[in-house]
Amino acid sequence: MSKTGLNANEWVEKYGDLLLNYTIKRVNDRLLAEDIVQETFLSAWKSRDTYKSEASEKTWLFAICKNKIIDYFRKKSTQPVQFAEVDTTAGYFNDAEHWTNSDGPKDWAIQFQQPIERKEFYGILGMCQKKLQQLQQSVFVMKYLEDFSAEDICKELNLTSSNYWVLIHRAKLQLRKCMELNWVRL
Amino acid sequence: MKSLFSLSCKTATYLVSLKEAGKISWMDALRLRYHLAICTFCKRFEQQTSFIIKHAKHEHGEERLSDNVKTKIIQELNTLEG
Repeated sequence: MSKTGLNANEWVEKYGDLLLNYTIKRVNDRLLAEDIVQETFLSAWKSRDTYKSEASEKTWLFAICKNKIIDYFRKKSTQPVQFAEVDTTAGYFNDAEHWTNSDGPKDWAIQFQQPIERKEFYGILGMCQKKLQQLQQSVFVMKYLEDFSAEDICKELNLTSSNYWVLIHRAKLQLRKCMELNWVRL
Repeated sequence: MKSLFSLSCKTATYLVSLKEAGKISWMDALRLRYHLAICTFCKRFEQQTSFIIKHAKHEHGEERLSDNVKTKIIQELNTLEG
Protein backbone atom coordinates (compact mmCIF):
# COMPACT_ATOMS: atom_id res chain seq x y z
CA MET A 1 0.00 0.00 0.00
CA SER A 2 1.40 3.38 -0.93
CA LYS A 3 1.02 6.54 1.03
CA THR A 4 -1.81 7.70 -1.20
CA GLY A 5 -3.75 4.61 -0.31
CA LEU A 6 -3.53 3.09 -3.75
CA ASN A 7 -2.94 -0.57 -4.08
CA ALA A 8 -1.43 -2.15 -7.18
CA ASN A 9 -3.49 -5.33 -6.99
CA GLU A 10 -6.74 -3.53 -6.52
CA TRP A 11 -6.01 -1.18 -9.38
CA VAL A 12 -5.23 -3.89 -11.86
CA GLU A 13 -8.23 -5.97 -10.77
CA LYS A 14 -10.59 -3.05 -10.89
CA TYR A 15 -9.50 -1.27 -14.05
CA GLY A 16 -7.39 -3.72 -16.04
CA ASP A 17 -10.18 -5.27 -18.09
CA LEU A 18 -11.96 -1.97 -18.63
CA LEU A 19 -8.79 -0.36 -19.96
CA LEU A 20 -8.08 -3.39 -22.11
CA ASN A 21 -11.48 -3.29 -23.81
CA TYR A 22 -11.24 0.46 -24.30
CA THR A 23 -7.83 0.09 -25.92
CA ILE A 24 -8.64 -2.92 -28.10
CA LYS A 25 -11.56 -1.01 -29.56
CA ARG A 26 -9.16 1.74 -30.60
CA VAL A 27 -6.11 -0.13 -31.78
CA ASN A 28 -7.74 -3.41 -32.83
CA ASP A 29 -4.81 -5.47 -31.67
CA ARG A 30 -4.87 -7.41 -28.45
CA LEU A 31 -1.13 -7.67 -27.78
CA LEU A 32 -0.56 -4.02 -28.53
CA ALA A 33 -3.52 -3.17 -26.30
CA GLU A 34 -2.00 -5.17 -23.44
CA ASP A 35 1.23 -3.20 -23.79
CA ILE A 36 -0.65 0.09 -23.75
CA VAL A 37 -2.60 -0.94 -20.65
CA GLN A 38 0.62 -1.90 -18.91
CA GLU A 39 2.24 1.43 -19.82
CA THR A 40 -0.86 3.21 -18.59
CA PHE A 41 -0.60 1.58 -15.17
CA LEU A 42 3.12 2.29 -14.99
CA SER A 43 2.75 5.97 -15.85
CA ALA A 44 -0.18 6.35 -13.52
CA TRP A 45 1.66 4.62 -10.71
CA LYS A 46 4.71 6.85 -11.12
CA SER A 47 2.63 9.99 -10.98
CA ARG A 48 0.14 8.83 -8.37
CA ASP A 49 1.43 11.35 -5.86
CA THR A 50 0.36 14.19 -8.11
CA TYR A 51 -3.10 12.74 -8.40
CA LYS A 52 -5.30 14.44 -5.85
CA SER A 53 -8.73 12.94 -6.33
CA GLU A 54 -9.84 15.97 -8.28
CA ALA A 55 -11.10 13.68 -10.96
CA SER A 56 -12.19 10.19 -10.23
CA GLU A 57 -9.48 7.59 -10.31
CA LYS A 58 -11.14 5.94 -13.26
CA THR A 59 -11.34 9.15 -15.31
CA TRP A 60 -7.72 9.84 -14.53
CA LEU A 61 -6.56 6.40 -15.66
CA PHE A 62 -8.60 6.59 -18.84
CA ALA A 63 -7.14 10.00 -19.64
CA ILE A 64 -3.64 8.55 -19.35
CA CYS A 65 -4.63 5.57 -21.47
CA LYS A 66 -6.16 7.78 -24.14
CA ASN A 67 -2.93 9.78 -24.36
CA LYS A 68 -0.95 6.59 -24.83
CA ILE A 69 -3.24 5.59 -27.68
CA ILE A 70 -2.91 8.96 -29.38
CA ASP A 71 0.88 8.71 -28.93
CA TYR A 72 0.78 5.42 -30.72
CA PHE A 73 -1.25 6.92 -33.59
CA ARG A 74 1.18 9.82 -33.76
CA LYS A 75 4.19 7.54 -34.02
CA LYS A 76 2.46 5.48 -36.69
CA SER A 77 1.60 8.55 -38.73
CA THR A 78 5.24 9.61 -39.00
CA GLN A 79 6.12 6.44 -40.83
CA PRO A 80 6.67 7.53 -44.43
CA VAL A 81 4.92 4.58 -46.07
CA GLN A 82 1.54 5.85 -44.99
CA PHE A 83 0.62 7.98 -47.93
CA ALA A 84 1.83 5.55 -50.48
CA GLU A 85 -1.27 3.61 -49.56
CA VAL A 86 -3.37 2.09 -52.27
CA ASP A 87 -6.89 3.34 -52.72
CA THR A 88 -8.86 0.15 -52.33
CA THR A 89 -12.10 2.04 -52.77
CA ALA A 90 -11.31 3.26 -56.30
CA GLY A 91 -13.10 0.27 -57.81
CA TYR A 92 -16.37 1.14 -56.10
CA PHE A 93 -16.99 3.78 -58.75
CA ASN A 94 -17.03 3.67 -62.53
CA ASP A 95 -15.26 6.03 -64.94
CA ALA A 96 -17.91 8.68 -64.44
CA GLU A 97 -17.35 8.29 -60.67
CA HIS A 98 -20.80 6.90 -60.07
CA TRP A 99 -21.39 3.75 -58.07
CA THR A 100 -20.97 0.53 -59.96
CA ASN A 101 -24.00 -1.74 -59.68
CA SER A 102 -22.06 -4.35 -57.76
CA ASP A 103 -20.58 -1.90 -55.24
CA GLY A 104 -23.47 0.52 -54.80
CA PRO A 105 -24.92 0.37 -51.28
CA LYS A 106 -27.68 -2.22 -51.05
CA ASP A 107 -30.90 -1.89 -49.14
CA TRP A 108 -30.01 -3.18 -45.67
CA ALA A 109 -33.66 -3.68 -44.88
CA ILE A 110 -33.21 -2.72 -41.24
CA GLN A 111 -34.88 -0.12 -39.09
CA PHE A 112 -32.12 2.33 -38.31
CA GLN A 113 -33.77 3.30 -35.05
CA GLN A 114 -34.07 -0.23 -33.77
CA PRO A 115 -31.65 -1.55 -31.16
CA ILE A 116 -29.05 -3.85 -32.60
CA GLU A 117 -27.69 -7.22 -31.63
CA ARG A 118 -24.73 -5.65 -29.91
CA LYS A 119 -22.23 -8.35 -29.42
CA GLU A 120 -22.31 -9.47 -33.01
CA PHE A 121 -22.32 -5.94 -34.40
CA TYR A 122 -19.26 -4.85 -32.41
CA GLY A 123 -17.35 -7.99 -33.18
CA ILE A 124 -17.81 -7.43 -36.89
CA LEU A 125 -17.21 -3.69 -36.67
CA GLY A 126 -13.92 -4.39 -34.88
CA MET A 127 -12.91 -6.84 -37.58
CA CYS A 128 -13.81 -4.29 -40.28
CA GLN A 129 -11.91 -1.51 -38.51
CA LYS A 130 -8.88 -3.73 -38.34
CA LYS A 131 -8.93 -4.07 -42.11
CA LEU A 132 -8.58 -0.33 -42.60
CA GLN A 133 -5.14 0.99 -43.37
CA GLN A 134 -3.43 2.29 -40.26
CA LEU A 135 -3.86 5.98 -40.90
CA GLN A 136 -7.52 5.58 -41.84
CA GLN A 137 -8.03 3.68 -38.64
CA SER A 138 -6.32 6.35 -36.51
CA VAL A 139 -8.34 9.10 -38.14
CA PHE A 140 -11.59 7.19 -37.76
CA VAL A 141 -10.99 6.49 -34.06
CA MET A 142 -9.89 10.03 -33.24
CA LYS A 143 -12.85 11.51 -35.07
CA TYR A 144 -15.70 9.18 -34.24
CA LEU A 145 -14.69 7.56 -30.96
CA GLU A 146 -12.79 10.42 -29.36
CA ASP A 147 -14.55 13.42 -30.93
CA PHE A 148 -11.40 15.28 -31.91
CA SER A 149 -11.94 18.14 -34.34
CA ALA A 150 -10.64 17.80 -37.88
CA GLU A 151 -8.09 20.54 -37.14
CA ASP A 152 -6.73 18.77 -34.07
CA ILE A 153 -6.46 15.45 -35.89
CA CYS A 154 -4.52 17.12 -38.73
CA LYS A 155 -2.20 18.69 -36.19
CA GLU A 156 -1.64 15.53 -34.16
CA LEU A 157 -1.10 13.28 -37.15
CA ASN A 158 0.58 15.88 -39.31
CA LEU A 159 -1.95 15.71 -42.15
CA THR A 160 -3.14 18.30 -44.59
CA SER A 161 -6.83 19.05 -44.49
CA SER A 162 -7.44 17.44 -47.87
CA ASN A 163 -5.54 14.28 -46.82
CA TYR A 164 -7.74 14.15 -43.78
CA TRP A 165 -11.03 14.30 -45.70
CA VAL A 166 -9.83 11.72 -48.19
CA LEU A 167 -8.93 9.36 -45.31
CA ILE A 168 -12.31 9.85 -43.67
CA HIS A 169 -14.06 9.27 -46.97
CA ARG A 170 -12.16 6.06 -47.73
CA ALA A 171 -12.54 4.76 -44.20
CA LYS A 172 -16.30 5.18 -44.41
CA LEU A 173 -16.54 3.63 -47.87
CA GLN A 174 -14.62 0.58 -46.71
CA LEU A 175 -16.31 0.16 -43.36
CA ARG A 176 -19.74 0.40 -44.92
CA LYS A 177 -18.87 -2.16 -47.54
CA CYS A 178 -17.33 -4.49 -44.99
CA MET A 179 -20.37 -4.24 -42.71
CA GLU A 180 -22.66 -4.89 -45.64
CA LEU A 181 -20.75 -8.03 -46.54
CA ASN A 182 -20.35 -9.39 -43.04
CA TRP A 183 -23.07 -8.06 -40.80
CA VAL A 184 -26.12 -7.33 -42.88
CA ARG A 185 -28.27 -10.29 -43.74
CA LEU A 186 -29.21 -9.57 -47.31
CA MET B 1 -23.07 21.74 -70.67
CA LYS B 2 -23.18 19.96 -67.39
CA SER B 3 -25.70 21.22 -64.94
CA LEU B 4 -24.42 23.24 -62.03
CA PHE B 5 -26.06 20.65 -59.88
CA SER B 6 -24.47 17.59 -61.35
CA LEU B 7 -22.34 15.73 -58.88
CA SER B 8 -20.63 12.37 -59.12
CA CYS B 9 -21.37 9.74 -56.47
CA LYS B 10 -17.73 9.76 -55.45
CA THR B 11 -17.88 13.49 -54.76
CA ALA B 12 -21.31 13.25 -53.17
CA THR B 13 -20.19 10.62 -50.66
CA TYR B 14 -17.13 12.75 -49.90
CA LEU B 15 -19.33 15.78 -49.29
CA VAL B 16 -21.48 13.79 -46.85
CA SER B 17 -18.59 13.89 -44.35
CA LEU B 18 -18.04 17.60 -44.86
CA LYS B 19 -21.72 18.18 -44.26
CA GLU B 20 -21.66 16.08 -41.12
CA ALA B 21 -18.79 18.22 -39.79
CA GLY B 22 -20.50 21.47 -40.77
CA LYS B 23 -17.69 22.27 -43.21
CA ILE B 24 -19.65 22.24 -46.44
CA SER B 25 -20.14 25.37 -48.55
CA TRP B 26 -23.73 26.43 -49.20
CA MET B 27 -23.37 25.71 -52.90
CA ASP B 28 -22.08 22.19 -52.27
CA ALA B 29 -24.78 21.64 -49.67
CA LEU B 30 -27.36 22.49 -52.29
CA ARG B 31 -25.79 20.21 -54.88
CA LEU B 32 -25.57 17.41 -52.34
CA ARG B 33 -29.19 17.78 -51.31
CA TYR B 34 -30.24 17.59 -54.90
CA HIS B 35 -28.05 14.55 -55.56
CA LEU B 36 -29.28 12.69 -52.47
CA ALA B 37 -32.87 13.29 -53.50
CA ILE B 38 -32.36 11.43 -56.74
CA CYS B 39 -29.57 8.92 -55.94
CA THR B 40 -30.66 5.89 -53.91
CA PHE B 41 -27.11 4.57 -53.55
CA CYS B 42 -25.78 7.78 -52.05
CA LYS B 43 -28.81 8.20 -49.83
CA ARG B 44 -28.20 4.70 -48.46
CA PHE B 45 -24.51 5.50 -48.03
CA GLU B 46 -25.38 8.50 -45.88
CA GLN B 47 -27.86 6.57 -43.73
CA GLN B 48 -25.74 3.49 -43.31
CA THR B 49 -22.48 5.27 -42.49
CA SER B 50 -24.19 7.50 -39.95
CA PHE B 51 -25.70 4.38 -38.39
CA ILE B 52 -22.26 2.75 -38.15
CA ILE B 53 -20.72 5.87 -36.64
CA LYS B 54 -23.50 6.29 -34.12
CA HIS B 55 -22.93 2.78 -32.84
CA ALA B 56 -19.14 2.76 -33.15
CA LYS B 57 -18.87 4.84 -30.02
CA HIS B 58 -20.61 2.57 -27.63
CA GLU B 59 -18.21 1.08 -25.09
CA HIS B 60 -18.49 -2.62 -24.72
CA GLY B 61 -16.26 -5.60 -24.53
CA GLU B 62 -15.72 -8.87 -22.85
CA GLU B 63 -11.99 -9.18 -23.17
CA ARG B 64 -10.11 -10.04 -20.01
CA LEU B 65 -6.47 -9.57 -19.10
CA SER B 66 -4.91 -12.95 -18.56
CA ASP B 67 -3.62 -13.75 -15.09
CA ASN B 68 -0.09 -13.76 -16.46
CA VAL B 69 -0.36 -10.23 -17.74
CA LYS B 70 -2.02 -9.05 -14.55
CA THR B 71 0.70 -10.57 -12.40
CA LYS B 72 3.37 -9.05 -14.60
CA ILE B 73 1.85 -5.59 -14.31
CA ILE B 74 1.41 -5.87 -10.55
CA GLN B 75 5.01 -6.99 -10.14
CA GLU B 76 6.24 -4.07 -12.20
CA LEU B 77 4.21 -1.64 -10.16
CA ASN B 78 5.52 -3.09 -6.93
CA THR B 79 9.14 -2.79 -8.06
CA LEU B 80 8.49 0.91 -8.64
CA GLU B 81 7.50 1.25 -5.01
CA GLY B 82 10.09 3.56 -3.54
